[in-house]
Amino acid sequence: MVLPAIWLGKLLSILLRLAGRNATSLPGKMALRLSPKLLSVLGAKLDRCVVVTGTNGKTTTSSLLAGILNADEPIIHNREGANLPQGLTTAVLQHTTWFGTLRRKTALFEIDEATLPLVTRHLPVKVLVVTNVFRDQLDRYGELDTTVTKLLEGIRQTDAVLVVNGDDPLAKHIALHSGLRYRTYGLSTHHAEITHHDQMRDGAFCMQCGHELTYSGFFYGQLGLYHCPECGFSRTTPDFAGTYNGHTIAIDEDELPQVEFVLPSRGLYNVYNTLAAISAARLCGMNANGIAVGLAAYEAPLGRMQGFQTTPPSTLNLIKNPTGCDTVLQAILSEPGQKAVCIAINDLAADGKDVSWLWDAGFEQLTQSPDIRVCITTGLRAEDMALRLKYAGYPTDKILTAADLDAGLQLAFEQAESLGELDLYVLSTYTALYPTAAWLEKKVTLDAKTPLYRTSVS
Amino acid sequence: MQRPLCIAHLYPDLLNLYADKGNIQTLVSRCQWRGIDVEVVSVPAGTTPRLSDYDLVLLGGGSDREQALVGRTLLSSQPEWKAAVEDGLPLLAICGGYQLLGEYYQLPNKAKVPGLSLLDLITEAGEPRLIGNVAISSEECGMIIGFENHGGRTTHSHDVLGRVKKGFGNNGTDGGEGVRYKNVFGTYIHGPLLPKNPALADLVLKTALEHASGNTVELEPLDDRFETAARKAFLERRIQLPEESVPAAQA
Repeated sequence: MVLPAIWLGKLLSILLRLAGRNATSLPGKMALRLSPKLLSVLGAKLDRCVVVTGTNGKTTTSSLLAGILNADEPIIHNREGANLPQGLTTAVLQHTTWFGTLRRKTALFEIDEATLPLVTRHLPVKVLVVTNVFRDQLDRYGELDTTVTKLLEGIRQTDAVLVVNGDDPLAKHIALHSGLRYRTYGLSTHHAEITHHDQMRDGAFCMQCGHELTYSGFFYGQLGLYHCPECGFSRTTPDFAGTYNGHTIAIDEDELPQVEFVLPSRGLYNVYNTLAAISAARLCGMNANGIAVGLAAYEAPLGRMQGFQTTPPSTLNLIKNPTGCDTVLQAILSEPGQKAVCIAINDLAADGKDVSWLWDAGFEQLTQSPDIRVCITTGLRAEDMALRLKYAGYPTDKILTAADLDAGLQLAFEQAESLGELDLYVLSTYTALYPTAAWLEKKVTLDAKTPLYRTSVS
Repeated sequence: MQRPLCIAHLYPDLLNLYADKGNIQTLVSRCQWRGIDVEVVSVPAGTTPRLSDYDLVLLGGGSDREQALVGRTLLSSQPEWKAAVEDGLPLLAICGGYQLLGEYYQLPNKAKVPGLSLLDLITEAGEPRLIGNVAISSEECGMIIGFENHGGRTTHSHDVLGRVKKGFGNNGTDGGEGVRYKNVFGTYIHGPLLPKNPALADLVLKTALEHASGNTVELEPLDDRFETAARKAFLERRIQLPEESVPAAQA
């Protein structure tokens, strides 16, 4: 009997919301405890289910896809990364009546790799996206590691069409071994770089035969133009090929005319997320118009690779601790082209008055990259940041400092422009973030009004 | 047959709360910029340090629990430590590492975590924590600036590293900050300590180089414009005090 479990779950959701709490997981957890079959009973009532899984980009990809699918019909979606069985159940319960019928018939679930085998058999999965599979240590002998095994186990319980990142040898491997129909997405080959700046994971080994993969180009991490000299396993031309150009992405799908979309969020990671969402939306039957409307509705969270259409273009990132800062630096460095960087460090209460953490963050990455042409430091601790860069080995003649935030941003744009319209990446601590975002917004407006002239850059 | 200057970083896996990396980077860079060969040895927890191999030992800060762990490891080799310090081993101890130099650290429940007993120094937990920007005036290297964050109140019978100009120092009451004994430098100041205090960094280096070679060492001056700018900005914005010059006798 599942009705009491449905009531319990719905009641808990109401109570938690009244108490001002976020009810993304607990109601489903308690309801499942009362009736372990609940998810399979409710799942059977769905018309179709779309699943997004993989290591990175699940939340962004599924949020983008939710925006697109919602433009067509209201869907069930487990937001906020609640991607375990209790999170899925909670999401479905929100759209279940007290009599146990579903008000919405399409569900979009972001599902954790380890959870996938536990839930897919209960759901009518029609489309399943694998964003990528990153691991710390790949198995050199071609044996499947646990993540890949779990993904395959979960996928094989469905008769879905797979949408996989074809630039990722691991995602491609999963597609080949799923026994299901699959479509690949990937970047246009001209985006590949011959040299590899990231620390190459101990990992580019062929999952089919165990031989080391060779690459004729890299996108980032293990994503690239791979080929196994031993067994012939290789990256093939993607079914959905993306060409990005600043703020837009053009999609080539089979023999169809190329379609261009505005990128909702900057950063190479987000180009992939957008590409995944568009490919999955196509398989769900969405047309270009619906996709464009859905993407336009998406808003990148403040300070997460937040793009500004300034001249030259700029991107804003929040930094507040060493780990987060390292991730941001990696994301910036994985972007193509030469760059200018502006780092705004404040030491007010909300930032943390102790700036020691700057010395635990890996700013050495900026030194190691050949692409960072200049670093401007600003904010109340601009000079501390400049000193940090000096000890990170960054050339001191390319470190410029202006403590006043307006002056610092101004200087950064002057530098980015004079060095040849370089993309500017702004990193900022919390209290400098809002003023910086406001400053950049203002510049977007001003730049739009100013008649565009560009000195030729050769 | 000059061997590289050997800096030992003790228990980086336990005591690395306040960016000790920055202190080590500063020492290493300031050697390299002068063409001095230097190597850093990380001594992980559970390993007994080989004191005679080191020219400088860096003991950082950790949480109370981690510090108790380190204390226990170090205690087994207390006599060696005592002898080495008396013999002039250069030792830079920060925050928790500073407290470990003493006889004990008394917890709020009055239980005493034993220290290395290298100095006549004790620490007692107190309320509130002493947190904030700090500036002290040192006879050897002018103004030393940074950040402090400690619950412990430390008292000792040795020379202090400096007199508090702003902040709390050893205990918030007697106006002293840190300790100086033979070649031991102890302090609550991090932020980290050395990058923005190049005079202190060089004094520590000079001490280590002299201990290693047995001769007087004069360090080449470096281009410290970034350091000077960072000090000036910090002193103006956060301390509201002017820079103090290093006494000529030391220069």
